Amino acid sequence: MNQRDLELLSAYLDGQLNPSDVTRLEARFQSDPQLVSVLNDLRSTRNLLRKLPARRAPRNFTLTRKMVGQNPPLPRAYPIFRLATTLATLLFVFSFGLNSFNRFAASQAPAFGMGGGGGAEDSVAAPYAAEIPATEAPAATEAPSVALAPPASTLLPTQDAANAAQTAESPTLKTGEAPNELNQSQPLPEQQISANPSPLIPSVWQIGLAIVAVVGFLLMLVSRRLAMNRWR
Amino acid sequence: MNEQALITDAQNGNLDAFNTLVLHYQDSVFNTALRILGDEDQAADAAQEAFISAFKSIKSFRGGSFKGWLMRTVTNACYDELRRQKRRPTTPLEPDTDDGEEMDSPRWLADPALTPDQKAEADEVEHALQHCLNNLPLEFKTVVVMADIQGLDYTEVSVAIRVPLGTIKSRLARARLRLRECLQGFEELLPASYRLEEGINA
Repeated sequence: MNQRDLELLSAYLDGQLNPSDVTRLEARFQSDPQLVSVLNDLRSTRNLLRKLPARRAPRNFTLTRKMVGQNPPLPRAYPIFRLATTLATLLFVFSFGLNSFNRFAASQAPAFGMGGGGGAEDSVAAPYAAEIPATEAPAATEAPSVALAPPASTLLPTQDAANAAQTAESPTLKTGEAPNELNQSQPLPEQQISANPSPLIPSVWQIGLAIVAVVGFLLMLVSRRLAMNRWR
Repeated sequence: MNEQALITDAQNGNLDAFNTLVLHYQDSVFNTALRILGDEDQAADAAQEAFISAFKSIKSFRGGSFKGWLMRTVTNACYDELRRQKRRPTTPLEPDTDDGEEMDSPRWLADPALTPDQKAEADEVEHALQHCLNNLPLEFKTVVVMADIQGLDYTEVSVAIRVPLGTIKSRLARARLRLRECLQGFEELLPASYRLEEGINA
């Protein structure tokens, strides 16, 4: 039995042959008993398969909304609440970060300025001071190295100038050694002011953003819960 | 039951309409899975997966035989299950011979301890058939389950498993021949009304 004849017999059994093929095949049945035998085998097998008892489903396979991931229809305002909450949260975090950075930068800026500036002033002031005679009041010459020294020193009497020179001399010597120590050990009023700069984003705005975020989130929750209850 | 209306409603997301279709077809879907997988629990899982998948993709149904479309879905679920089994194989319950080797003949079901009455019971036929079905290659098994057990015509089977009509004819003929050869091993187990000889002049 070749494959072609087997397919013909199977299709004949199911009535899937065209009339001309049926006539031809039935003519062969007269002369080829093997074809009839195989046909009967195939028919018996098919009958057995058709008699196979159909089992009832062991349970109902009906689907729940959870199974198919269906969500309740949300109110139209829901996306607005969601957008408002997201934006407010992002802006709040951004403003918080911005203010923090601002405070940090302000606290670092004076130290950088004095340290770097001190070195530069030393390099300029040292040769300048060398040109000045020793009898001259050094305070007058070295005073610029400390910008915050009283400008009236040039107008002081000699004794005062000497005192001023002593007071001005010590920072001059120290600046060459450790200018930062000087700056840190004697914080200046400007530093104190710049350590607490006014925030870039006012606190009122931050509070407003936080309120919008919280209220938007609560509205999202409530509208979702209401929609879920209606859906059920 | 207005099937087309239910399908349209289900395509619009109406789960109740789809569940009506589920109740109508769940026995067919479960039986198809059972014959392909040969295990009730796995068949139930595959049927459930098939219905979930069918609901999610019902918008892709473009008419024709809904049963055939469902059969394709459940067949795919069965293939997934079989692939999963292949990744995590389990120990087969094949009996061993006296030499300790696994018996590969289908005749192992012919338990000599069975009484003639037991042999006559229809569930033996079912066991024998299921055993022979399990021995078929998957592509043959799918075709014979759809055509001979579920009663789909060639075209529906062809559409369901996306295989040309000629291939369906060929697979079905070869599957029937293999089943016939396998069932010869159970000849004495089959009750008289199920004997293969009975069909000769049917």
